[in-house]
Amino acid sequence: MPLTPVVLHILLALADGERHGYAIAQEVEATTGAQIRMGPGTLYGSIQRMLSAKLIEEATTRRRSAGDDERRRYYRMTATGRRTLDLELQRLASVVDAARSKQLLRGPSIA
Amino acid sequence: MTGRARRFERLYRGALLIFPRQFRDRFADEMTDLAHLRLEDARAHGAHAFAREAAHLVADLLASAPREWIRHARDGRAERKQAIADGTLPRDNMDILIQDLRFAARGLMRHRAFTIVAALTLALGIGANTAIFSVVNAVLLRPLGYPNPDRLVVVYGMQGTQGREGLVFPDYLEWRAQNRTFEDIGVFRGQSVNFTGGDTPQRVVGSFVSASYMRITGATAGQGRIFTDAETEIATKAPVAVLSYDGWQARFGGDPSVIGKTLVLNGQAHTVVGITKQGVQAPFGVPDVFLPIPYYPNASGLQRGNRGMLAVGLLKPGVAIETGERDLKALAKQQEDLFPTTNKGFGVELQPLKDQIVGTSRTPIYIVFGAAIVVLLIACANVANLQLARGSARYRELSVRAALGADRGRIAQQLLTESTLLSLMGGAAGVGLAIVGTKSLRTALTNVLPVNGTITVDGVALAFATVVSLAAGILFGVAPAWKASRTNVHDMLRSRSSGNGLGHTATRNALVVVQLALSLTLLACAGLLTRSLIELQRVNTGFDTKNLMTMQFRLPAVKYDTPDKIWAMFDRAIAEIRTVPGVQSAALVRAFPLTGNGESYPVIIEGRPPATAGDAPQLQVNSITPEYFSTMKIPRVSGRDISTSDTKDAVPVIVINQEFAAKAWPNQSPLGKRLQVTGDDRWWTVVGVVGNTKHFQLNEPQILQGYIPHAQRPQIFTTLAVRGVEDPLPLTNAIRAAIWRVDKDQPVWGVASMDQILDGVIGSPRLIVRLTAGFAIVALLLGAIGIYGVLSYTMAQRTNEVGIRVALGADSRQVVRLVVAEGMRIVAIAVAIGLAASLASTRLLQSQLFGVGPTDVITFSVVTAILAVVAILACYIPARRASRVDPMVALRTD
Repeated sequence: MPLTPVVLHILLALADGERHGYAIAQEVEATTGAQIRMGPGTLYGSIQRMLSAKLIEEATTRRRSAGDDERRRYYRMTATGRRTLDLELQRLASVVDAARSKQLLRGPSIA
Repeated sequence: MTGRARRFERLYRGALLIFPRQFRDRFADEMTDLAHLRLEDARAHGAHAFAREAAHLVADLLASAPREWIRHARDGRAERKQAIADGTLPRDNMDILIQDLRFAARGLMRHRAFTIVAALTLALGIGANTAIFSVVNAVLLRPLGYPNPDRLVVVYGMQGTQGREGLVFPDYLEWRAQNRTFEDIGVFRGQSVNFTGGDTPQRVVGSFVSASYMRITGATAGQGRIFTDAETEIATKAPVAVLSYDGWQARFGGDPSVIGKTLVLNGQAHTVVGITKQGVQAPFGVPDVFLPIPYYPNASGLQRGNRGMLAVGLLKPGVAIETGERDLKALAKQQEDLFPTTNKGFGVELQPLKDQIVGTSRTPIYIVFGAAIVVLLIACANVANLQLARGSARYRELSVRAALGADRGRIAQQLLTESTLLSLMGGAAGVGLAIVGTKSLRTALTNVLPVNGTITVDGVALAFATVVSLAAGILFGVAPAWKASRTNVHDMLRSRSSGNGLGHTATRNALVVVQLALSLTLLACAGLLTRSLIELQRVNTGFDTKNLMTMQFRLPAVKYDTPDKIWAMFDRAIAEIRTVPGVQSAALVRAFPLTGNGESYPVIIEGRPPATAGDAPQLQVNSITPEYFSTMKIPRVSGRDISTSDTKDAVPVIVINQEFAAKAWPNQSPLGKRLQVTGDDRWWTVVGVVGNTKHFQLNEPQILQGYIPHAQRPQIFTTLAVRGVEDPLPLTNAIRAAIWRVDKDQPVWGVASMDQILDGVIGSPRLIVRLTAGFAIVALLLGAIGIYGVLSYTMAQRTNEVGIRVALGADSRQVVRLVVAEGMRIVAIAVAIGLAASLASTRLLQSQLFGVGPTDVITFSVVTAILAVVAILACYIPARRASRVDPMVALRTD
């Protein structure tokens, strides 16, 4: 089943390690060229769903640096999350391949 | 953080309330943080970016909240399904109810003392209401036992604005024939009938009726038949009679052979043609015997000008009472045009039969009912308070259940089930009380109220009791349930059983204020009614009421057909009666005071222009024999008494009362002045003035009175006034025998001592006062228990503080003062509210008050003092207990 763009991008944002909500939002905004700008409701709505689907979890040990707000919670991807992301990316890659073979996709090849 | 940031945070957090609570609890902090950072970023890019970001945040909230609600609902259902499958949640509502009931019963059993006190308190309230409701039901609600009771109306004559009168018989005949709005109209005149031919002459209650009257009031025949229309027409005048079932049972022992027999009634033979069905009612009382209206003994009673007919009409289906009234008014106008001398300004008015029957009893019943409701409200407040107090003890039980996963709604539901079960127990006990209460009140109430059927706790009353119980359960259960459902599990577990905040005490104090304020209002009402009763009993009747008695007799018109015969009988009878040992003095009077008899006529004073019909002074005219004033001990003011020399051939004379003398001849002697009484063209000369007496009611203003000699205007109906050396009632048979020595066929009835008559007059107000005062006392006691309870509770809470005070040297007097002062603060607020409520509500009593205003300062002061004293006593007990606190113990306990 395809993941929603928001979920996919959150997983992508967490691929490098744990992040708090604000960092996730910033990362997503940066990678999508501000195509996806998540408000707090959208972000945490998705986070809740992902928590209960066990795609992500709250990081129990978190690095604290100066200026860290102690309210901030960090999230990280679970093994399930990583597997789901892999599957989704494979699916997307095959979609892109199929599109390219039909010359539907313009622009530079990433191969 | 800047002030602006804080303001934003508050705003955003507020907006988060649109999310489901669970979601909010988990993410509110993070969301606010994110929103905050977003806005800070945007601000760096200028005002435009900032505004766009703010709009984006709002849109984000509005878009995501519904999504979370949907998810919340879906999860809730899934969880519930799982829990039901696991057996930790009941399957359906019935299961929940049974589970709750089991818990509730167990809880109530465990706290037996609480349960008993609460159930008894409720039983008092519900019992009082059920009992009084049974009265309301029997008098006001139960449908009348007539066919088509909603279409039955009483038809009254109206002279201008002077009030209701009877109808004129010839008018009735016209109206009945010509109206378009009535199915039928019937007439009736009630009068006692002399029944002779048995062992002793008897007076039976007679109704002279038209056949239509019997038909529309549903007086159907159980045996034989009722009258035909022809039999009750003047032209036919058939000598027939119909016995009522009750009359048949009482006078003939239910002997079926009476049909077809001939009875001598008012000296004339009548054939019994039928007996009415058992249970037949009649709007103006069920008689012993029905007779055709043409036999009405006063021939003038059926003539034009005599307004003595009582009429009942049955409106056609769907016809409004106003339409019927307009119809008859038009016909009345025709009669007025045709007969201007007798019918000038004579109109008509309709009244629903129901209203006629209920009459003036509605207000007193509502007053007592209101008092009962107030008692119930106070009882509910009391139980709510008990529950709140117990709620603290149960706090930990509830917290454990909450911690184990019971949601708040379920806990509240559970508490409500418990209070409902409790109130149903109270209701059951209350119904028991009501059954006992109605039984003991039945006779007293039936004597003074127009009871339809029997006053009894019937199905309707039981339904009422059930509804009231359930309502009471919700009323006193809501506060504790609401409290429990709003408490945080965490706080619950952390708190000790003794300390749970000021908010709690405030609720309890507010409940006590309500109780005391309601008690005060009820006390004020009861106080005013009591004052009225005392004033009524203190009314000077104008005569000596001790050792006085009366009885009535009516001579048969056929036998005594001339004034001379009537007077001869009266004269001999009074002479015989005076010879009875024990009789101090005796006289005849046509209308004995306070028995309801009496007639008033417009008078014309010689030398003054006759006033128009409505304005002429109305004089209550009474016929008396000599020695009436001395028998009654009515003081003579001037002139002379009626004497034996005032015979029918002598100059017509009249003795008037002081009121009339002062009104008609201010500042001059009325002696020698002459006046005319409407309907009698003789001129009556005033020969004496006597004191005023109360004639119709104790609370009437002084009326204009005139006494004329019986000998100068003998009428067949008279009453006897006897003053005994001692209580004359035991002389009844001797006096009766004396009358029978003159005429062995003359029945005598209406035997009553003046004390009995006064009892009857005062009976209704006295009953209202007793009931209202009884309820007020119960209310006061409940209020006292309420303030006692709340103070005991707060003092238990403050044992520590008191201990410290005592340890620091406060003596017991200071402690008592502390506690009482606390109580008095509550009382002061309650008195302020209660007095305001009293001022607003006692106005409703106005019509029932006599000799005292609805805002009587003395009454208000007295009841306030009573409330204050009782409240201080109730405060003093917990105060004493607090003052005996051993500081060492107190300080160790918490």
